[in-house]
Amino acid sequence: MAVSKPTTPSMFKKKSGTSLSAMASAASYLSALSQADARARGALNGSPTSTPALSISSSVTSSSQDTVLHEEEDYSDGLALPARPPTSEQVFKTVHTEFGHCASEEFRLTSQHTPGEPVPGHVDADPPYYILFSTYISYLILIVLGHIRDFLGKRFRSASYAHLMPKGGYAPLNSDFDSFYTRRLKTRMDECFSQPVTGVAGRTILLLDRVSPDYNHTQLFTGSPNPRLEHLGQGGCADAVEESIKRYGVSTLGSRLEGGSSDLHTVSEALVAKFVGMEDALISSMGFATNSTYIPALVGKGCLVISDELNHASIRFGVRISGASVQMFKHNDMESLENLLRESISQGQPKTHRPWKKILLIVEGLYSMEGTLVNLPKVIELKKKYKFYLFVDEAHSVGAMGPQGRGVANYFGIDPRSIDILMGTFTKSFGAAGGYIAGSKTIIDHLRVHGHSGPYAEAMTPPVLTQVVASMASIMGVKAPLPAPSSSGLRLSSPAPLALEYEYVHPGPAPHSSLPSWLSLPRELSDGSEGSTRLRRLAFNSRYLHNGLIKLGFITYGHPASPIVPLLLFNPGKMNMFHTMMKDRQTPIVVVVVAYPATPLVTSRVRFCVSAAHTKDDIDTVLRACDEIGDVLDLKHGIPRSERWPIEQITERAVELARMMK
Amino acid sequence: MDAATLSSSTTLEPLFAIMAQALNTLESTFHKLPGSAVIQRYVRSSHQNDPGRTLLELLLVIFAIRTLLQSRTRADRKGSHFIKFEEKEINELVEEWVPEPLAQPLTPNEQADLGVLPIISGPNGPRPKLLATGKTALNLASLNFAGLAGNEHIKQLAIETLRKYGLGSCGPPGFYGTLDVHMDLERDIADFLGTEASILYSQGFSTVSSVIPAFCKRGDIIVADRSVNFAIQKGIQISRSAIRYYDHNDLNSLEEVLQQVEKERKKRRGPLTRRFIITEGIFARDGTMSDLPKLIELKYKYKYRLILDESYSFGAVGRTGRGLTEIYNVPASKVDMILGSCAIGLAAGGGFCAGSQIVVDHQRINGPSFVFSAAMPGLLAVSASEGINIIRSTPSIFETLQENVRAARSILDKVDFITIPSHPASPMIHISVKHTPLVQPASAGLLSPASAALISPTKHAKDQMRQEYEAEERLLQEIAEECLSQNVIVTRAKTLKGQEHNEPKPSIKLALTAALTKKETEKAVGVVKAACVKVLGRRR
Ligand SMILES: Cc1ncc(COP(=O)(O)O)c(C=O)c1O
Repeated sequence: MAVSKPTTPSMFKKKSGTSLSAMASAASYLSALSQADARARGALNGSPTSTPALSISSSVTSSSQDTVLHEEEDYSDGLALPARPPTSEQVFKTVHTEFGHCASEEFRLTSQHTPGEPVPGHVDADPPYYILFSTYISYLILIVLGHIRDFLGKRFRSASYAHLMPKGGYAPLNSDFDSFYTRRLKTRMDECFSQPVTGVAGRTILLLDRVSPDYNHTQLFTGSPNPRLEHLGQGGCADAVEESIKRYGVSTLGSRLEGGSSDLHTVSEALVAKFVGMEDALISSMGFATNSTYIPALVGKGCLVISDELNHASIRFGVRISGASVQMFKHNDMESLENLLRESISQGQPKTHRPWKKILLIVEGLYSMEGTLVNLPKVIELKKKYKFYLFVDEAHSVGAMGPQGRGVANYFGIDPRSIDILMGTFTKSFGAAGGYIAGSKTIIDHLRVHGHSGPYAEAMTPPVLTQVVASMASIMGVKAPLPAPSSSGLRLSSPAPLALEYEYVHPGPAPHSSLPSWLSLPRELSDGSEGSTRLRRLAFNSRYLHNGLIKLGFITYGHPASPIVPLLLFNPGKMNMFHTMMKDRQTPIVVVVVAYPATPLVTSRVRFCVSAAHTKDDIDTVLRACDEIGDVLDLKHGIPRSERWPIEQITERAVELARMMK
Repeated sequence: MDAATLSSSTTLEPLFAIMAQALNTLESTFHKLPGSAVIQRYVRSSHQNDPGRTLLELLLVIFAIRTLLQSRTRADRKGSHFIKFEEKEINELVEEWVPEPLAQPLTPNEQADLGVLPIISGPNGPRPKLLATGKTALNLASLNFAGLAGNEHIKQLAIETLRKYGLGSCGPPGFYGTLDVHMDLERDIADFLGTEASILYSQGFSTVSSVIPAFCKRGDIIVADRSVNFAIQKGIQISRSAIRYYDHNDLNSLEEVLQQVEKERKKRRGPLTRRFIITEGIFARDGTMSDLPKLIELKYKYKYRLILDESYSFGAVGRTGRGLTEIYNVPASKVDMILGSCAIGLAAGGGFCAGSQIVVDHQRINGPSFVFSAAMPGLLAVSASEGINIIRSTPSIFETLQENVRAARSILDKVDFITIPSHPASPMIHISVKHTPLVQPASAGLLSPASAALISPTKHAKDQMRQEYEAEERLLQEIAEECLSQNVIVTRAKTLKGQEHNEPKPSIKLALTAALTKKETEKAVGVVKAACVKVLGRRR
């Protein structure tokens, strides 16, 4: 693929002036805050390499070397320091590189469905035909060339193809056919993948240069599917995790059913159940395994699983292991779903026509590659009529969608208990690891005993559990304890006097008694104010970026409220270029590009994941970059030219734009 | 004839002219299109001005477009089994259909077992506190062979890592989830075991069920031990390879199967397919140990690749805990894939697969739970790295552990009523009920359940076997609870009844640890012995 780095800087110069204007103020900002900085530095062991960012944090942050910046570096890229200096009365407790400083209440929104408004399905926006055509051609050329290279290579350079050819009576470990895609297509864009990183990934990320490992770049990070609702490494959650490591150690040694259960598991599971509004919940140490090991305990032979065609690999893994029959319906297409339901219920099992034992519909709340939001109101309606069971994978939506961050049900204002099973992961919104399954007590107890993870998989470790508890509590807020008779706080082993127990109402604040007694969260976390700010920042950022890209003329997918914003590139050659051009900008931006097989062949895309940590200025930067690169790479095939807005108008009318429906 | 060709060429001439012109305009409009330069550059560089190939490519394009335009229809819809219904009939059928409940409530036994599950209050380790009683107990249930749990140095490093990296990694390894500490741990593991490379998975249990389908595809042949652990069973199931089992830990049986497969292949004259032997180092379900040198000999003789699951032997046996390769003193490079668990062996989290660079790189793109799951938290990786550091530099850990194992075995081996299938060196000891006519009244003289299953039992015999199973399980559960009441935490080996291939024999699983002294171990195992005698003896 002819991908050359943009060697003509003039191409970008014309518009970069806008971002340069921040330079002067950055300098003044530096001096204005040097005092505060020095104070912060005092707590940081005075390490010369530690970040000069704002850590006026009250919490002790012993070794905050998260952002190794070079002293002589200038701050005009807006990464380490905000482009616009904050006023003296604004106090930020986060490090700007991790969690951007944004004080303006304007840039907030509530993530909520307007009742009555139709839920957008998934529309395949078609680019002009020449784009489609050239995309096919590109793949063809790649494929043909790849085969020719294989053909010649095996004959003339057999040494480097040894692992693809039978040798000494052994069949090759990976057949050249199976690995063709990876060898011939993916390796061409390897620089976009598998880039190792270091430090805390938040608003920015530190990439490790694979060529020279000692030179790291800080880059504006839009890659992680992590809405960053709590900051990592710093602040209340990390303090709690540190405390838990001191108290509990690193591991709980064993599976849940064989000596790996601790009180912390019990507490966390109860809190998760409260958070999502279900009767009971269980926690598993890996998100992928949550699906792949618990779905087989729900369905089996004689059952039917109806699965969205774009469901995550872990769901497919689990369904395949379960032995149930599977049918797929068109992505988020309720008509296709209903037709399929009618057909499967009326036809019954294949051949025998016996009625299905049960039908389980598995959908995702928010699709990770498309950014579409499941049409939950309609699904619930169908569920009433067709009596199937509903499993919603909220990996990306829990902690990110809804006015209280409780996921899609919260977003649509639907009672979570009208869903049978809510599954989710802690990897994304909670900055932890692992996953949960929530449902009625009967179901969860059944899963505890019959799910594969129960007896065999390692239990979740205490630090991860604590991160989950602390970050959930900070989103929920904690209801202050009622005056309890004992001053020592509530012990887990001795049940608290029930009369004083605060009755939990979903989606309200967490009862104080539902947290471990040793856990103390700073006030802004425990009153939920910070969590709520973050949720509203996320909602604003999502809508702003999404609508901004549309107004610039790009083709995007997904729901405007989704923090995942895919921008379509189509041509595989453009992926590499887009990635490189974003990375080589004055404010480097890291994006995730995805192509076949994660997406359909033609719709290669770049997937932006906005986070609450991004500021409005960050989104401006991203939009500006997309605007310029979009022109160069010919990516604007969305709304007609007359309806587009110039970038200045977009950044100025951001608030209006974000509130606009699609 | 001549005139005809002549005239046709003259009539064609203007046509050519028009075509040339059209091409010209096409080309110029193409240049006007934004982005055309990119395409042109791209086409030019990848295409070497070969007109013949252009034609070929065009044909392929048309073919590709056609296949893509063909809508994906479900195959069975128009199959012969499809019954056509009226809308009204469908409505009725929908109305009538009554699904089974999504999950059955637990049986009283299951409920009871879940209820008495020992829950640890505070840190787990060799002497944890029980939540139910608030008493300190000796722990023979949790997997802490090398005694790394609660190590202050590891805790300190974990806290430092937390401060530097935060807790969760932010995505799958391919998308900015790989931290430098992950790469360090991969290097440490490879270096420790002596393989070229290794790859980390974020959960031990999901490792092998992801490694197997990454390599074994439809048409490949897997020869596996009949009693492999559940994760391997699932990996085999999802790989869709042809599977042959050999008798549990019986390498003669393995050789027979290998010979048979070879014979069949010769008869069929099929193409050369990948062939794998999959087995465990120390078997999770009974603690027996594989004879690695013999396995390697067979693997080379019959040209198989060996996938060895060392979940329960890595960090547990060998002079410095390297596992079977260290016990038998064979180079790790002779085993194609060594799988282990950092959660079990190193008291951290996650699992790994170690092997050659090619083996590891292949998984980075093809291992389902590697590609589609977030990388493990950085602090667990650091804890595991430090765990390796500690065990490799402190051989005394495993001397202590072996001493404890010997002490435990010398007590248990003398007990009547029980059998211990586990290898004498295995720090995980399974105890099962010895088959006596009392436990097994009706079918006395019959074979053990495992071998009886081979003789395709009648329904009656099956029922009886299930009853025996349950009876044994209840006895063992009683023993475990008896121990618990004496403040020794012991667990029955929990299995997924009805879901396992070749149902394991019910057993109690003791996990010894180097963190307990010999005295403590003897005391704890003494309690187990007493409980066995009390519960099983009562039956007599
Ligand atoms: C829908 C869905 N389910 C499950 C997972 C797996 O989660 P984890 O990365 O925590 O293993 C993912 C992760 O990408 C996901 O998108």
